[in-house]
Formats: sequence, C-alpha cells, structure tokens
Amino acid sequence: MTIRKILFPTKFREYAFNSLESLFVLKKAGLREIILYYVIPRDDVGFVPFGGYLKKEEERLREEAKVRFENWQKSLSEQGIENRVIIEVGDPVPQILSVAEREKVDLIVVGKKKGTFFENSFVGTGTLKIVTRSRIPTLASKYMVEFECDGECVLRTNRDKFTRPLFPTDFSDRSEKALNLLVSLKNIIEKVYLCHIIETRDSKGHSEKEWQKIELERKKLLEGYASTLRSTGLETKELLGAGTISDEVIRISRGTDATLIIMGTSRKDRLHELFQGSDSHRVTQLSELPTLLVP
Amino acid sequence: MKKLKVVIVAIWIYMISLSPVFASGGDPHIGEYLPLYSVLPFVGMLLSIAIFPLVAPRFWHHHFGKVSAFWSVVIIIPLLVAYKATALHEILHIILADYIPFIILLGSLYTVSGGILLKGTLRGTPVVNTVMITIGTLLASWMGTTGAAMLLIRPFLRANAHRKSRTFMVVFFIFTVANIGGSLTPLGDPPLFLGFLRGVPFFWTFNLLPHMIIAVSILIVLYFVFDMYFYKKEGIQSPPDDGTKEPIRLEGIQNFLFIAGIVGAVLLSGMVHWGELSLLGVHRAIQDIVRDVLLVMMGLLSLIFTKRRIREDNDFTWFPIKEVAILFIGIFLTMIPCLKILQAGTKGELDFIIAAVQNPVHYFWITGTLSAFLDNAPTYLTFLSTAMGSFYSGVPETQAVTLLIKENPLFLLAISAGAVFFGANTYIGNAPNFMVRSIAEESGTPMPSFFGYMIKYSIPILVPVFIVITFIFFL
Repeated sequence: MTIRKILFPTKFREYAFNSLESLFVLKKAGLREIILYYVIPRDDVGFVPFGGYLKKEEERLREEAKVRFENWQKSLSEQGIENRVIIEVGDPVPQILSVAEREKVDLIVVGKKKGTFFENSFVGTGTLKIVTRSRIPTLASKYMVEFECDGECVLRTNRDKFTRPLFPTDFSDRSEKALNLLVSLKNIIEKVYLCHIIETRDSKGHSEKEWQKIELERKKLLEGYASTLRSTGLETKELLGAGTISDEVIRISRGTDATLIIMGTSRKDRLHELFQGSDSHRVTQLSELPTLLVP
Repeated sequence: MKKLKVVIVAIWIYMISLSPVFASGGDPHIGEYLPLYSVLPFVGMLLSIAIFPLVAPRFWHHHFGKVSAFWSVVIIIPLLVAYKATALHEILHIILADYIPFIILLGSLYTVSGGILLKGTLRGTPVVNTVMITIGTLLASWMGTTGAAMLLIRPFLRANAHRKSRTFMVVFFIFTVANIGGSLTPLGDPPLFLGFLRGVPFFWTFNLLPHMIIAVSILIVLYFVFDMYFYKKEGIQSPPDDGTKEPIRLEGIQNFLFIAGIVGAVLLSGMVHWGELSLLGVHRAIQDIVRDVLLVMMGLLSLIFTKRRIREDNDFTWFPIKEVAILFIGIFLTMIPCLKILQAGTKGELDFIIAAVQNPVHYFWITGTLSAFLDNAPTYLTFLSTAMGSFYSGVPETQAVTLLIKENPLFLLAISAGAVFFGANTYIGNAPNFMVRSIAEESGTPMPSFFGYMIKYSIPILVPVFIVITFIFFL
C-alpha cells in the first residue's frame, strides 16, 4: 500500500496551504499526484427562496477558487508533483467521499476546523463525518492547533507530521493495513512508537496471574509488529498501556515526541458507536496530533 | 446608516400610530376595527418575496430570515400592545392551528419523498418525457407537488442531458407536476391543506378533477407536440447509447408506505371527532394533534429506514424546507390582520374587495392572478376569508366553510383552482417552482428569467388554458 494519489479538499481556510506543503515530503514515499478539490456548497448558491439558482455567484466562487489554486498548483509543479483541480457544486461530505472513490485516490487529507465551538474537539463536524464514513485512508491534518495544557494555552504546529508516528494497534485486519501503510512511508519516518492498549474491560475480573498472561500474549503480538517494522529499517519503540483506548493513546502520545497518530479504524458495536463514537474517531477528535485513520 | 435611521423612525411612527387605533378595540371581532394599513406588513412580506429574489438575490439568499422576522415584529408588537390577550390568542391560534400543521405536512412529505430514488438509464424521447410528466402529475396530488417534483426532476434532467432544447421541458414540468397536478387532494398543494385545516373535507377537492383533466390534457398534448418538433429539429435519430445502460428501478420504495401513512393520517383527522384540547388557550381537535404526531412519525421512520446513500444520490438537503419554514412564519403572522378584516366582511376596511369580487369568475381570476405573484397559500386563505366574509359575515369559520361548500361550492372551486393552477404562472407562485428552477440551472439547463418565463411561456400557454377553464366552469 503506497500513497500515490491524494485528494486534498479545501475550504481555503487559514493554513490550508501550509497543510498542503506539509504533504510534499510524501514524494519521497511514492506520491505522484495531488488533486486539489473545492466543493461549492449547494446551499450557498442554490435554492434561493422563490428565486432559484445564483449562477453568477457560482461562477464567481469558481473563479476565486481557480485563482487561489493557481499558486498552489505552481508550488506542486515546482516540487515535481502532478496536480489537478476539481471544482464542483454539491453537499461537501458526500461529494468528497464520492470523488475520492471515483478518482481512486490512496489518501484523503482533511483540514482544520473553523473555530473552537466545541472546546474538546480538534476537528469539525464535516471532517469527523468524512473520517467516520471514508473507506479510504484519511488524514486529519490539524496543521495548527491551540489547546490547553496544565492551565496554559499552547499553540502547536504540526508541520513534519510523518517523522515520528505513534501506531496504536489492536492486531486487527485494519491494524495490519495501517502497518503496511506505515512501512510504505519508511523513507520519511525517523522512528515509530508502536503501542497496544489493554482495554479496561479485557482486564476486569482477572486474577493477577491471568492478567500477567494477557500482558505476555499482547507483548508477544506487539513484538511481532515491531519485528516487521524493524525488518524494513525503521527504528521502533514498543509501549504497552491499559485503560480506555482513546484516553490511553492520547496520554501516550503526550508522553512521547510523536508527530502523528496512525491507526486502523476500530469498530465497536453499533450502539456504542452511535453514542460514543469508535475509539479511532474519538482519538481523531481529542488528540492535538494529526491523525491518519486506515479503514 | 442615515437611511437605516429613517427606516427605524418610520417604523416607530407606524407602530405608535397603530397603538391607539388598536387600543380602541379590545373586541374579539378585531377585524371590524383594524385599520387598513395594518395589512401593510403582509403586503411588505409578500412584496419582499416577489421583489428581493429578482433585484437582490444574493442579499435575499443570506438575509431572508431577517426580512421575515422584520415584517413579523412590525405587526406583532403593535397588535400585542393594543389588543393584549386577544392579539396573543390570535397569534397563538395561527401558529398552533395553521402554521405548525402546515409545516409538519410539508416537512413530512418532503422528507419521505426525498427517500425515494429513481435510478436507471432513461433516454429522453418525446414519449418517455410525456410519460414521466404524466406520472409526476398523477403523483403530485398524493405526495405533494414538492415531493413529486423532487422525485422526478433529476431523472428527467438526466434523461434529457443529450437534448439541446431542454428549457421548455422544465417549464412544462413546472406547469403540470409542480402545480396543476396537485389540485386533487389537500396533500397536493399547500393552499388546499390550509382549506382542509379550516374544514374543507379531504375528498371534496376531487371536485376539481374535471378542471384538472382539461388543463393537464391540453398541456400534455401541447408538450408532446413541442417535444416532437424539437426532437426532429435536433435530428436525433435514435437514443444515444454509451454502453452504460442501467435498468430502471426505484430505491427506497418503503417510503411509499410512509406516504400511505401520511395520506391515512390526514384522512383520519378529517373523519373522526375525538374532542378538543386547549393548548395555551387555543382549542385544537385531538384528531388533528394525533395527525400531526403521525406525520412527524412518518418522517422519522423514513429517516431511520432509508439508506443515507439514497438521500445523497437524490441530493437531498434540508435547506429548502428550512427556507419555507422561516418565510412562512412571517407570512402567517403578518397575514392575521388581513384575514381578520376580510372575515369581518362589509364591516371591515377591506369591504371594497368584497364588493368588487362577486362571481366565481372574479374569484378564479383574482385569486389566480395574485397567486401567481404572491405565494398561493396565503392568497387562498385571503380569498376564502373574502368569500366567507361576503356570504357569512360573523359566522364562525368552520361553520362558514361548511355553508360555503353546501350553498356556494362554485366559489370555493374557483378559489381552489385559481390558487393551485395560477401558481404555475411565475417562479414565485409556488415553492416547488423555484426548487425545480434551481436544480435545472445547476444541471446546466438554461432557464428563462422571471419575466422571460412569463412572456415566453406562461402568458402564451397557460393563460389561454385558464380562459378555456373559465368558459367551461366559471361563467
């Protein structure tokens, strides 16, 4: 699994270009083409009450987007990355997912949230819908994030995001896919933090002996993953955690100098997902680090 | 800024001037006391709907909610200051008994029909197009003109993507599916549902069947002739085949069950009498409340049992229904004085309208002409009130409707036909018109301007059809 083609949808928000620039490094890992994509929300130009459709407004928005993309395309060409621009009218989330499938991209990169209406979330609702529904690996870029740490406001720039990824694994098929993706990025990775979280419910009611047995089994599985990574020349550090997956992943990420979280999307039962979201989606929401989810 | 100040001062003067006049009343028959200029906010609201989309569409698109709120406040505050509890009762009555059921019906039909997707490869030949328009027209009375139009417009446009002349097709689609087709039941078109809420029996509107058959037959034959002409002119020998032929199928068919549920719920509310409940001092029939709950349930069931992909493939969005909800709260609130004055008959300030509108032909053409330029739902109510004020001044509303149907049914037929049929005359006559126009333009079908639509299509085609209807039924 190699990232050759990326879909980069944008709303031209602050730092959108910086976020794009931070992907240039992927050329060393096989990136060939980036599709720059802008969706003019249908509700912005269509269904004018008793009026119809704002054709001129659509044309204006198209022109504006084209002009903005021109500079981006120039930078991409300078880097030797092929590029194309697609501008369409529609409902952004389904449209992005549909164009990603149509164009057979390997990665969707989604951006930064607009404001901080929900203090606890680092991604907006649109981004969250995309990462939840996408059947293609999706990177929540979070180029610049502001958050509170020990009572202080911290501003973090996630520029070199692929340098030291944290890879929480549950040894599932999706984790295997994430592992393959990680291996394909070996040329741009310095070090991998490989971790596994023993869930609270797995350890509940177990005697100390049973607990040690679980720990040993998981360590062994973790070692298997680590060997795969090391065999490709990647420096790997293994970490074991216990508790709620999303909380532990975030805690571990803050205890290391990880620059990215890459994980297979986890699937809980439907009821759990409906009310709490899956662990991978919660990590995407709650971590200040860029998050690459592999479905 | 200076202009804004002038406007604010003018509004205050208007409000202050209204207050003493209002205060002199305090009578439940407020229609007899309300001054003529209390209808100005209603006129302002309707003119805003008619003019802003033409002259300032971008402003209107982003600020129509504020405009609606503005006209509502301009009438509500003086009414409340002057009439206090009476005014509050009238406001609550129009919200609880008219607006909420109206929006619930539109919302549920919109939600349910948005869950039905027509897929497959259709090639737009004159026969296929005529069949599609005919099916849409037949469906409109059962799933609403909005529902039928939203179900078929995208497949219709896709089927004709290879055709050069498509504008006339969309215009005929608006004439038939988005308007005249909805004339048979209260589900078909919003004005008829407002009539139903005021006591017009569900199946009474079937009396419009002969009117509808004549109008639709003429239009569909004309459409076929036009389509055949352009089809030959374009030199299309056989339908293009790009090798991607997909069989025609309907997805989300469970939604037809929910449509049946909506029909059943509305029918039920017209057939049973389970007593009344007082909600905030407004008496509402229990069967009407049950109906509204059932309609909401049908919408929710449709949302739960329809795959998200179907709605997305339908380009389903909540925006149009939100727009209608926001605009219509303004229309309903500003409409209160107008309705009350008209219901007061010759004792009210609008007695000159009652004196001028005497015969069914007057009702057909005046209701119709105004429906074309204002929305047809409030226009229908206005002229229903005029007829009731004219014949049964002072008689309670439901009783007056029953008497009108029994003694002067031709008047109600004329009002109903005028409101529904003439809604097709302009883009602003009926809500689905602008939705269809928007979707057509988005898909690259050039549509005529507001006046272009009237000059090229509605005046030369629809008006003669309505003259024929007049001669047959209303003279």
